Amino acid sequence: MVDMALSMKDVSKYYKYYENELDRVKEILSGKSRYQKIHALEDISLEVEPGEVLGVIGQNGAGKSTLLKVLSGTILPSSGEVETSGRIAALLELGASFHPDMTGKENVYLTGAIKGMSRQDIESIYEEVVAFAETGDFIDRPVKTYSSGMFIRLAFSIATHIDPEVLIIDEALSVGDGAFSRKSFDRIMDFKEAGKTILFCSHSMYQVEALCDRVIWLEDGKIRKEGTPVDVISEYSELMRMSAPRKEPLGDSQETIKSEPCNEIEKQTTGSSALPSIIEVRVTVDGKENKVHKVISEESDLEVTVLFDSGKGIPPPSVAIGLSGGDGRILSSAGSVHDGVELSVNGKGQGVAKILFPKLPLLRGNYYLDVALLCERGIHLYEAARQVAEIYVEQKGLERGVVKLPHQWLP
Amino acid sequence: MSYITGYFRNIVGGFINPCRAVFKNWSLYIMLLRRDLINRTSGTILGKVWPLVQPALQILGYWFVFGVIFSVRAEGRGPNFLEYLLVGMLPWLCVAEVISRSTSMFREFAPLYRRNPFPLELLPVLVMTIPCLVYGSAYFFLNLVIGGIDKALLSLFVLPMFMLWLIPLCLLFPVLGLFIKDFGQAIPFLLMITLFLTPILYFPSMLPQGISRIIWINPFSDLMAIVHGVLQDSEYNWLNVARPMIIWLLLLGPCWLVYKRSIPHIREVL
Repeated sequence: MVDMALSMKDVSKYYKYYENELDRVKEILSGKSRYQKIHALEDISLEVEPGEVLGVIGQNGAGKSTLLKVLSGTILPSSGEVETSGRIAALLELGASFHPDMTGKENVYLTGAIKGMSRQDIESIYEEVVAFAETGDFIDRPVKTYSSGMFIRLAFSIATHIDPEVLIIDEALSVGDGAFSRKSFDRIMDFKEAGKTILFCSHSMYQVEALCDRVIWLEDGKIRKEGTPVDVISEYSELMRMSAPRKEPLGDSQETIKSEPCNEIEKQTTGSSALPSIIEVRVTVDGKENKVHKVISEESDLEVTVLFDSGKGIPPPSVAIGLSGGDGRILSSAGSVHDGVELSVNGKGQGVAKILFPKLPLLRGNYYLDVALLCERGIHLYEAARQVAEIYVEQKGLERGVVKLPHQWLP
Repeated sequence: MSYITGYFRNIVGGFINPCRAVFKNWSLYIMLLRRDLINRTSGTILGKVWPLVQPALQILGYWFVFGVIFSVRAEGRGPNFLEYLLVGMLPWLCVAEVISRSTSMFREFAPLYRRNPFPLELLPVLVMTIPCLVYGSAYFFLNLVIGGIDKALLSLFVLPMFMLWLIPLCLLFPVLGLFIKDFGQAIPFLLMITLFLTPILYFPSMLPQGISRIIWINPFSDLMAIVHGVLQDSEYNWLNVARPMIIWLLLLGPCWLVYKRSIPHIREVL
């Protein structure tokens, strides 16, 4: 039998609500309950094997954060058993235990001590922590004098250098800005490659699917579904789509062509010359670069060219193209990393990614083109250009819907 | 029967669990002590001298009011007033600091335990240790000057004795201070009254007969009688030992129970 990295048996967590705070005191003094229960988790049983990457998804208020806090030991469960093996690093509210008047060095020792490390253990990792955090001489100054970036770098560095067996991540796969965001992402990926157990809670279904071996979907404090990322995320995404407010159906109206295509890059991450960035996006229809991208369904070829700077000292990035409708729902996407295409870079560190959508099978309507520049794994986002171009599709037939599927009528 | 067993189990728990938390988290305990000592003096010109200067200034103030202005004299009752005042006042300042700090302890240390699996049983010991260290060294030198090395060595047991006696209060007051805000507001007044009801600023023999009985209801009077008895050869008897001990035993179990029950609530409140 495998010893589990994490195990929860019938774990429930409820928060106590008191109409009057004095009732809480009376309860503590007398031992008699005077509260109403607000359930955050109900009878959760879960086992995570060593080396497994478990995704946790669910809407806001589903109990995801409570689950992570219970597993990290920050809060105690109201009932049930939680067993963990080895040290846990939780990337939740980084730097929360830092004392502003203490120096970075003292805070490293303090955090290590809170995590149960001896002074010798902390001393053995201290140099690595400081080097990774890139704090330089600031390590001997009070952390209240740090910039927010430096503060988070040090907190992340400590959290991930305590040699954890289990890493708990809430939302962000990277922290900090500029080059450090990439560095912190690599650090997390190193944990995955080293076979550490990871719990990853996120609203990004793409990242959950890309990273996780198994996913649990929490709803109202209970596990609604558990299984492979494909199964769970498909059902979850469908539910999200159904519950989202409905907009005008695409391609159903005879809209006129909208004025100007956007053609502007909306930067998602902070610009840094060390990190890859989009230089230009060109869109052509049948080889022509017009201001208005007018496409004839199933006839026109749509070509997108992305010029990018590949950054310094990191592998060339990957590019992803998305086509979305007016309601923001992605209708289709293509990624160089998923298609097995390695993008090359010239001597100046610049590269070009070209993609062709031959005889575009979209049906009548307005569509938007999104471009994203990601890491070589296709997970970490460097930069995104939202609605970089608007594509107006016309059609000759009267078919309805968004896309014309390849088909044939059989005799 | 089970009620009595539970009661005694809580008495043992109230003493053992905070001690166990210290031993299990020794490295953290030392770190927090260091942090606290640094915080006390960081940014000040006198720096590490402040822990000695601060009690000295307070004692100077009391001596000026009671010794100079009110001209309290020993008049054959025992040691001279200044020596008597110093020997009683330093432990009291330590006690007063422990009590007022323990009342706000959960709020003060909230960043440490709110988002971390932090052993909350460690906090009462921490709150007691720091004043003990700060005042302890000053107290040792004071008794060395007043009574010589024998008395100075005996004085090393005085503050730990007070801290031991304060364990129940240091378990109860943080809970009351967190959940009943008025309690924190009332503490300075209660400390002032207790100071006046304890023979520190005056000799016990100076009290009128009727009031002296009220004074001996106060367990701090017994503890002070022991301190003056041991360090200044004043009279004290077995009742001065028995009364605080009985009160301690009566308080420790229930106070630990309250502390234990409050732990799940503490993170939720803050």
